[in-house]
Amino acid sequence: MSKPIIDIKNISKIYQMGSQLVHALRDITVTINENEYVALMGPSGSGKSTLMNILGCLDTPSSGTYFFNNTNVRELNDNELAEIRNREIGFVFQTFNLLPRATALKNIELPLVYSGIKKYERIEKAEEALRSVGLEDRMEHKPNELSGGQRQRVAIARALVTSPSIILADEPTGNLDSKTGNDIMRLFQTLWESGNTIILVTHEEEIALHAKRIIRLRDGLIESDEINNNQVKF
Amino acid sequence: MNLFESIRMAINSIFIHKLRSFLTLLSVAIGVFAIMGSGSLVSSFDNTVETEMANLGENSFKITRTPSVQTGHDSWRKYRKRERINYKQYSKLKNKIGDMAFVSVESNQSNMTIKYSEFETDPDVTLQGTNEVYFNINNRDVPKGRPITEADVEYDRNVAVIGNDVFNKLFKGIDPIGKQIKIGKQKFEVIGVLDEKGAILGKSQDNQVIIPITRFNKYYSNWWESLDISIKAFSKESFPYVLDETIGALRTLRSDQPGAENSFEIETNESITQQFSGLTGYLTYFGLLAGFFALAAAGVGITNIMLVAIKERTREIGLRKALGARRFWITMQFLVETMTITLIGGLIGIALGFLMSSMISYFLGLKVTIPIDWMIISITITTILGLVSGLYPAFRAASLDPIDALRYE
Repeated sequence: MSKPIIDIKNISKIYQMGSQLVHALRDITVTINENEYVALMGPSGSGKSTLMNILGCLDTPSSGTYFFNNTNVRELNDNELAEIRNREIGFVFQTFNLLPRATALKNIELPLVYSGIKKYERIEKAEEALRSVGLEDRMEHKPNELSGGQRQRVAIARALVTSPSIILADEPTGNLDSKTGNDIMRLFQTLWESGNTIILVTHEEEIALHAKRIIRLRDGLIESDEINNNQVKF
Repeated sequence: MNLFESIRMAINSIFIHKLRSFLTLLSVAIGVFAIMGSGSLVSSFDNTVETEMANLGENSFKITRTPSVQTGHDSWRKYRKRERINYKQYSKLKNKIGDMAFVSVESNQSNMTIKYSEFETDPDVTLQGTNEVYFNINNRDVPKGRPITEADVEYDRNVAVIGNDVFNKLFKGIDPIGKQIKIGKQKFEVIGVLDEKGAILGKSQDNQVIIPITRFNKYYSNWWESLDISIKAFSKESFPYVLDETIGALRTLRSDQPGAENSFEIETNESITQQFSGLTGYLTYFGLLAGFFALAAAGVGITNIMLVAIKERTREIGLRKALGARRFWITMQFLVETMTITLIGGLIGIALGFLMSSMISYFLGLKVTIPIDWMIISITITTILGLVSGLYPAFRAASLDPIDALRYE
């Protein structure tokens, strides 16, 4: 529980918007350890998305240091970032982002394709991931043959398939009704309990309450970072 | 991620966007069709000319009053005034160079009818008057019977060697040797049957009868008709000398003024082939030019279509990048997609081009040639086209920012 996966020190992110400089993040310091369940909260414009992009190695900070599993992310180039994303981070998106013409199994295989894993091994792992989200009977279904909740489960399976260091979920229940959303949150809880590290980006208080720790952002600064004593458990 | 998977993915996406793919395929196919079609047609033509038209043997050349291929509108004016080549000139030339070369003389009448008892041929047989060395110079055998001899020519005998078509028409299962045939009012004894040659430019080479030139001149030739002379040097070394001697002797015999052009044509295999390639060259240039323009247009179209496809699939690209696709793989994915579609188009173009040229060749009676060289050229051009028109869109796709791409609506 003490091994830090994410170690951010004094990072800032400045965008050039026309002639104006936008300080999306100001001097943020956060450490996230293995098997934490963190909710990242904040209204739009708070810098929440920027921080998520940096955490997800989709973007690099303008200043400060970011160590991911002891790797200095700021020094990585495009391809090295792609490799970290591929191996260490499992993304779950609000809109699922599945390839519409590929089966559930093929969608889950995709990250493994990019890490150069052999076909039979890919299928094995993808099937296992699909089983872990309870969709083993939907392997050959395409996204349009699945319900919203099932699609998000496929997306979660895709995030899990590479056994990443963190799962980064961006508003994972945003496109689901509350009952299905609950099912998804239950799945995240199970994943957390089985040892995964989960970072949940949300603006919904209700969803954030499922996490063990809540970080609130406002105007590019950390407003609060505390243990959630009222964690909602299933 | 390997090439095979990229290709499979590319083919999938081709099937998903059927109309778009079809139009792209079509544009490439048209360009390749033009190049391949004209190229292979020219190949057939050249091949026919080389192997069949230019059938003078080694160390041989031919003397005619006018060239066998005439181009340009003023050539007729130029050749019209030339004196005909007559038997006397031939005889004197033969006396002069007969000790270092075979000299044959040829004259013919087309559309003759040959009769044997109650059978007769269509009026389309070529009657050829020549001498004993004709067979040697023209590489023709007489497997059945014997050819015409020097004595036949000298004593003006009424003997004939018949072509295979004539033989088949008149002598069904009968041994023709010694039989009497009638050509016009004259009777001839069949002494031999020529070997089979097939057709050139749709005209059978077996539908002919050969008789001694002396007899031909007596009964079948008009006074204004010119003879052709074929000459074959005894050896390769003496060929240039024979050629020089012939030209000199003929100029004297025909009283060509010093400094004036020859009043006759010298044709070698090379010069015949050259005359034809002058003709076919235009076709090649035209086909290539049309093809290149069509392909340039196709290339611009493909680039455009791929840019649209990438725009449509921005989110997919963003997702792939988020999941860890390196630039290289995104580039490859779209490049392979472009190449696959252009190559399929190219193959269709090659097939259609070959089909068209084969059909035209068939109707013109040309030898249908499989133009491997043009196939390779077409495939190379298509590959380059795919690369060039696919590279920019693929780079664009690969350099998309994953955050923006994921957010793209």
